[in-house]
Order: sequence, then C-alpha cells, then structure tokens
Amino acid sequence: MRWRLWLLMAPAFALLLSIFAAPLLHYLWLSTQVQSVLTGLKPQPIGAQQWLRLWNDGRFWQDSWQTLRFSAASVSLEMVLGLAVALLLNQPLRGRGLLRTFSLLPWALPTTVMALGWRWIFNDPYGPISRMLAGLELPAIPFLSNPALTWMATVGADTWKTMPFVALLLLAGLQTIPTDLYEAAALEEATQWQTLRRITLPLLTPYLLIALLFRLAQAVGVFDLIQVLTGGGPAGSTESLALYAYLNAMRFLDFGYSATLLLGSFAILLILCSTVALMWRWSLRWQGGLR
Amino acid sequence: MARLLLLLWSLGPMFWQLYSSLKPSEALSGVGAGGWTLENYRQLLQGDPPFLTYLINSVEVGASSTALTLALAVPCAYALSRLSRRQARALTSLVAAAAAFPAVLLFLALLELARDWHLANQLLALSLPYAGLCLPLVILLLQAAFADIPIVLEEAALIEGMDLWQRLRWILLPLMAPAMASSALLVFLFSWNEYPIALTWLSRTELLTLAPAMARIAGSSVYTIPYGAFAAATVLGSAPLILLMLLFQRQIISGLTQGAIKG
Repeated sequence: MRWRLWLLMAPAFALLLSIFAAPLLHYLWLSTQVQSVLTGLKPQPIGAQQWLRLWNDGRFWQDSWQTLRFSAASVSLEMVLGLAVALLLNQPLRGRGLLRTFSLLPWALPTTVMALGWRWIFNDPYGPISRMLAGLELPAIPFLSNPALTWMATVGADTWKTMPFVALLLLAGLQTIPTDLYEAAALEEATQWQTLRRITLPLLTPYLLIALLFRLAQAVGVFDLIQVLTGGGPAGSTESLALYAYLNAMRFLDFGYSATLLLGSFAILLILCSTVALMWRWSLRWQGGLR
Repeated sequence: MARLLLLLWSLGPMFWQLYSSLKPSEALSGVGAGGWTLENYRQLLQGDPPFLTYLINSVEVGASSTALTLALAVPCAYALSRLSRRQARALTSLVAAAAAFPAVLLFLALLELARDWHLANQLLALSLPYAGLCLPLVILLLQAAFADIPIVLEEAALIEGMDLWQRLRWILLPLMAPAMASSALLVFLFSWNEYPIALTWLSRTELLTLAPAMARIAGSSVYTIPYGAFAAATVLGSAPLILLMLLFQRQIISGLTQGAIKG
C-alpha cells in the first residue's frame, strides 16, 4: 500500500525537482565555466574566476544594496499598510465584501501592465501628479529621472500592487482570533492601543511572519516592475540583482557570469530570510523570559 | 473616511488609465482640446498582430497550465495527506520553501532547457515550467483540503470494496471541488501574469503572451509618447482579470489565504 502513495507523488516531485533543484545545481556547475561570445558560446572550465569577478564587481555590490534598499522599504511599507487595511476590513462595516474585492484588484493585475500604467502616472510633465502640481503652481517632481526619487517611485508602485496580498493574509489571521478575547478586554476597559498590543499582535504573529518571509523573498527577486517601469535607470540607480543577471545572459551573452550572479542573489536571499527567522525566534524567547 | 481613502488608493490609478485611454493623444499632452475618442482602442485592435492575439495566447497558456498543474497536484496532495505525519511534514516544508522561491532566479536554466529540448516558441510548452512553479502552492492548498475530509468516509468506501480510483472519483474529488476551483484560478492568474520565463521562451511576436507583449509595447517607443495607446493596452490587458476577480473573488481569496497559511 505504501509504495502506491509514493507512486502518486512521483510525477509532481519529478517536475518540482527539475524546475527548482536541477537549475540550482546547473548554476553551480555553470559558475565554474566561462561561456560567452569569446568562447563561441561553448562552456570552458575556468575554476573560481567567475566568483572572484563577482567579488570585485562594483556593479554587483551596488545592485545588492539597491535590491536590499528596495526590499526593506517596500516590505516594511506593505506590512504596516497591510495591517492597517486588514484591521479596517475586519470591522463589521457596510459594503465590506465589495471593499475587500476592490482593494485586492491591484494584486491581480499583471506586473508589466501596471508598471506601464505607473510610468504614465509618474510622467513628467503630462502625468496626473505633475499636472496636479502644475495646477497648484508647484514645481514638478522628476520621479523617473532623478535617481534619488526613482527608487522611491518603484517602492510606491510595488506597495500599491502587493499590499493587498499582505492585507488579505493578515485579515485571514485576524478572523481566527476568538472574539471573546476582545469582549474581555472591553470589560477591563482596555484602550484600543492596548488591545492591539496585547491581543491582536501576539496572536497574529505567525501570519505576520509568513507574510514577511514570503514578501521578502519575492521582493529580493524583483524584476518585472523594474524592467518595465525604469529599465534599471536612471544611470543604473534602480537596477536589481535579477535584472543584472538577466542583462548578462540576454544582452552580454555571458552565461557563466549570469549563473554566478543568480547564485549570488540566492545566497543573499538565504542569508536575509534566515536572519529574519532567527531574529524572530530570539525576540520570542526574550519576550518569554519577561513573562 | 478610511474606506474612501482605501478605495481611492486601489482604484484611482485604474480610473486614470481608463480616462487616458478614452482621450486623444493631443489632449493628453495638453495641446489640443478634450473630447472623447475610441481611436486608441481601434489602433490597438487593428495593430500587427492585433492585441487580441496576445489575450488569446494568454488564455491558451493559462488553460493548459491549469490542467497540467491540477493533474499533477491532486494525486500528490492526496498521497501527502495519507502519509505518516513525520514524513508528510518533512516533504511539506520543502514544498513550502519552493512556494516562496522567487521564480526569476530560475530563468537562465529554464532558458537552456527550452533551447536543448526545442521548447522555445511553443506556446503550450510554457505550461511545463508554469505548472512546476505553481505546484508548491497548489499542493499545499489541496493537501489541507484533503486533510479536512474525515477519514471515515474513505474507510467506509474501502469497506464497500471501492478501489483507489473509485474512491478518488466518487468520494473525494466531489468534496474537493471548492479547493480545486481556488487552485485553478490561482494557477490561471499566475500564468496570465508571469513575465521573465515568457520573455525568454517566446520571441515570435504573434506568440507573445500578454505580459511580454505589454513590456514590448512599453519598450518600443521610448521617445514618442503614445500614452493613449499605452493606457488602452493596460485597460484591455487588465479587463479580463478584473472580471475574473469580480466573479470569483471568494474562491481566489480563500485559495490565497488557505495555501499560504496551512503551509
């Protein structure tokens, strides 16, 4: 009987292994090769050269910084706004279901579609923001041409698209909290802030962690949004790691280095996620010690 | 008040696109007068290839990916829910890690796969990587649904002498319908929106799915500003999805939250 169960799982796991595990192993091998126009696109062993090149590549470190900056800013914005929206939608309001549907719409749109839309909204001087500012006789904001602002524009667009996902996940978490806890808190005349701190947030912890880790992993791999909204510009100031790896493969035809970059991004992602998970565990233990 | 703000934040950008798509280009650049027009849509629909081609391609890829994903995920999720708890937990955590993995990091290896196996520029072949990428979330979702079905139901069927196939077909799958509908919608949404793999697998214009087609429209004219046409493209590209969301919001929402939480 047992072997039949494994047989049922075999096709799915075979595909999973070939889509997730095989590529990573392939990159490990490819990162020890040089495969570019110079070698006639044939792989030739080169040892650890590609990894040395990565270590000395200023553009890799700059893109890492930019990717982390983007991820930190957009994920924290999404978590805070997402929690606020989830709390709002959890209240017994009229038209709640409709509101929930409408607020989820941005999440369902293709990223390339909405990135194109945002390019038009941020347009200077014809976009709505510039026009509104012009109507108020204020100077226009060069969202897409000033490096100091462009990365914030990408954060804004990303938050618009993915905040609903976080809100929805947290809303599902909120609905698992028994209402008698809130009734008890109301009897004790707890303030709203106390109720949030002492009841809602602790019970929401697992959902917050899931949303955080999931969003963090996706944000570190940001590609579609950047490629369409800014193309990595101006002057490479919004280029993400994934975009750099893509350019290496598709534009510079340097496959060995592209694989090295992809593995480098994966390593950064692993470090980031395990740091968050560890910090979370420590903070839980620390709180436990206080109680 | 807060509700109004939320509505404005979510829908405002979309209404701006709708508004822009109905205005002539001169009005958008502030030269000409206002007035409404369908010119932008006419241009788009009569383009070469017509915009509708991309939508049809996306529907084809979406449907085949959905079918393939469910065909692989249903037996796998059933088996996972019947394994011993220790084994199931080990496998489930692996699957959950894969669910969060950013797909874009896989594009290079998948590109080589497409080249070596001659899968590039084959619309339906895209459902292979798409099914692979969707499997983790769908397996988690369906496994949770299988686990919710009381085991006595299946035991009773076993006593009646039903074999595995009959039990699945007549007892379990009817009870699984809501979870399967949620999964199907999520896979469809994913493949409609997926960009990096479609971008690297498809190069022939008439085979493009919506996402790379939009990016190509965006990149084609950096210096001129046919934003009316852009806006019309965003409206046409998102309309089917908005319709899908409005029709099936309950299934999509429950699938999204169940899949993420149970895993």
